[in-house]
Amino acid sequence: MSGPWVEKYRPQSLDDIVGQEHIINRLKKYVGEESMPNLMFTGPAGVGKTTTALALVKSILGEYWRQNFLELNASDARGIDTVRNDIKNFCRLKPVGAPFRIIFLDEVDNMTKDAQHALRREMEMYTKTASFILSCNYSSKIIDPIQSRCAIFRFAPIKGEDVINRLRYICSEENFDYDEKGLETIVYYSEGDMRKAVNILQATASEGEHITEDSVYDVVSKSKPQDVSDMITKALTGDFMGSRKLLHETMVLQGTSGEDMVSQIYQEVSRRVIDGKMDPEFYIDIIEAIANCDFRIREGSNPRIQLEALLTKFL
Amino acid sequence: MLWTDKYRPKNLKEILGNNKEKKIIETWVENWKNGNPQQPLLLVGPPGIGKTTFAQAIANEFSEYIELNASDKRSQDVIKSTIGESSSSRSLFGDEYKLIIMDEVDGIHGTNDRGGVRAIGEIIKTSKHPLILIANDFYSKRLQSIKPKCQVIKMGKIRGPTINKMLKNIAKEEGVEYDKEALKELSKKANGDIRSAINTFQAIADTSHELTMEDVETVTTKDDRSTIIDGVMATLKSKNPKHVKDALRVDEEPTLVMEYIAENVAREYTNKNELKKAYENLSNADLYFGRARNTRNYGYWKYATDFMGIGVSSSKKETYKKFTPIKSPTVFTLMGRNRGKRNLRDGIAEKMSQKMHISNTVAISMFPYLEIMFQNDELAWEISDFLSLEKDEIKRFRKKVIPKAVIKKMEKQKEEMRIEERDRRAEELQNQIFAGIPTEEIVEEEPPRDEVELISEEPQAEEEPEELMAEEIIEEEVEEKPKEKTNKQASLFDF
Repeated sequence: MSGPWVEKYRPQSLDDIVGQEHIINRLKKYVGEESMPNLMFTGPAGVGKTTTALALVKSILGEYWRQNFLELNASDARGIDTVRNDIKNFCRLKPVGAPFRIIFLDEVDNMTKDAQHALRREMEMYTKTASFILSCNYSSKIIDPIQSRCAIFRFAPIKGEDVINRLRYICSEENFDYDEKGLETIVYYSEGDMRKAVNILQATASEGEHITEDSVYDVVSKSKPQDVSDMITKALTGDFMGSRKLLHETMVLQGTSGEDMVSQIYQEVSRRVIDGKMDPEFYIDIIEAIANCDFRIREGSNPRIQLEALLTKFL
Repeated sequence: MLWTDKYRPKNLKEILGNNKEKKIIETWVENWKNGNPQQPLLLVGPPGIGKTTFAQAIANEFSEYIELNASDKRSQDVIKSTIGESSSSRSLFGDEYKLIIMDEVDGIHGTNDRGGVRAIGEIIKTSKHPLILIANDFYSKRLQSIKPKCQVIKMGKIRGPTINKMLKNIAKEEGVEYDKEALKELSKKANGDIRSAINTFQAIADTSHELTMEDVETVTTKDDRSTIIDGVMATLKSKNPKHVKDALRVDEEPTLVMEYIAENVAREYTNKNELKKAYENLSNADLYFGRARNTRNYGYWKYATDFMGIGVSSSKKETYKKFTPIKSPTVFTLMGRNRGKRNLRDGIAEKMSQKMHISNTVAISMFPYLEIMFQNDELAWEISDFLSLEKDEIKRFRKKVIPKAVIKKMEKQKEEMRIEERDRRAEELQNQIFAGIPTEEIVEEEPPRDEVELISEEPQAEEEPEELMAEEIIEEEVEEKPKEKTNKQASLFDF
């Protein structure tokens, strides 16, 4: 009971967090101190950046953590002005029942450079009352002045072993049957992303009593839009307009992000070459194009235009 | 009354500007009057530059005229029955000519107008009366067969100073006090469209009788799509770098121009290698637009513009000999048409991000799993309850409604758990109060009102995580300590 397992089984204390031991050990030193440096957590999705931040905040601020904690998401369609206002209003007040206040700012790498410069000024202005924890996927997208003001912690993808242990724990709490092969399949598909692993687990569990390799595979393939395969087939047969239309629909209607599209296209063509349905030489040319597209999107280009260009390579 | 009608020039002499065209038309009228039949006149040019005004001024030179415009149904029959008769036969009495004016000829299209173009061709051939055709788009497909049979007069945009002169006249007549610079700016902003200038002027000054710079800055004149179309057209149709570069000096967001080129290049370049090359250039253009945005170094724009302009234009070996109309990006229409769906999606994502410490993007990436989970009735209820989803939001993940029996069962379960939890909490609190802070202090410092509020809040606390209830008490306890009080006051002086 209580909805999504990703939230239900989010570790609440630093000790419960799996797979980031050396980071956790260093962070624990800040507990009980009168101040904390600004921190930056960087690493791929689902490796525990937010979880660690929340757990750290709770153990530092203790009982009064809610009063002294502000969580903001930098990527959502709110201007930097809103973010600044929220920060300003929050820092106006002195910490209550705690040595200082903490602001957690998620997905900072999605802020424009201008906004980051503005953020930097906020960070300087309130050093006395508040510490910042910034979180991002790519620290390279963060301007140097911010990086130099933070202690940077790099989160690695969670090791398979740690993921599987956590899945076992959840299964036993929920009284769910599983076989090892089933859990291993989840680990394979989740690529060190704990959120993804737990989501696959719950989705599989929602379908039946037992978690097996087949039932996991069934969920994984269901969760991938069929459109990507059709889109590639259309492009391969020369129907660029049709293929582009599917791309637009997937991105606009499903809301699939550019990065997700790239990784799904990658998985689709890899499957084809392994099944012997695509010429390896052609495959490698395509991989070059996909890699290029991936790089450009991460660098901040318009994903739709880049993906359209990628589709022409299949023609 | 509309100023555009009130101040419309009544005859050729009153018309400002277009002196060259005026001469041609005057000779044309003169020749007809001398019994010397002429080819029809075709007036072509962008909207609001006085084509209709010209036609009506010419009409004043003739005793009778018939006017048809876009709002009329133009099937062959309508054209023939209204003007077909009069166009081929002349009055029995006298040598009076009837002038026939057909407005927006390039607007003929669709099934209602089937044969409309052919009918006009017919009329041109047989007409014994003077005929004036008016059209917007010189390159329109529908004009192709008509153009050779007409004397074409291409009319351009009206120059700013000319518009300014006209507006000054109107201001004098209407008693409008105006800032000279503001009037100039308004004339410039109209971008050659005198009708739009007059309309805007009237909108601002009709009641207030004044025009300030501020007024002009706040109104936006109609947007000028023709230029962006010209830019795209040149990129796709031309291979001349200078021509392309000139045409792309468009007063628009350059990334929008890129979207237009991307949309249309796929329709124009049917050779797949050329399309690939074109898209490589677009991808590069996009890359540098992105870099410019991220580094705030807008010097990169010039490279981007060359990629999308000269790059795309030179990706073709030869110009395609076909007519492909320029379309606005379909992805925008797609977005517009599905705004409802997207709002629904974003609404759910927003709820998830509030409850689950994730961004909207991450929330949306979880949707495929939620779709699977929602097929399970009980889990569907649990998650919807956890996220407080509305009916239509639940429908996003499952087609069937959650069976009533399941809802009942789950609600009962939840209620039982709530009561259990509440009792546990109550016991815990009891222990805390007895063990911790002296009860006197609470009575002393806390007005009873708050205590009542606290109790009354208890049943509502079921929605929130249970800790909240406890915390509110803690918060109050904190504030009751004298030390904290001074702290609070100090913070008041801080700001």
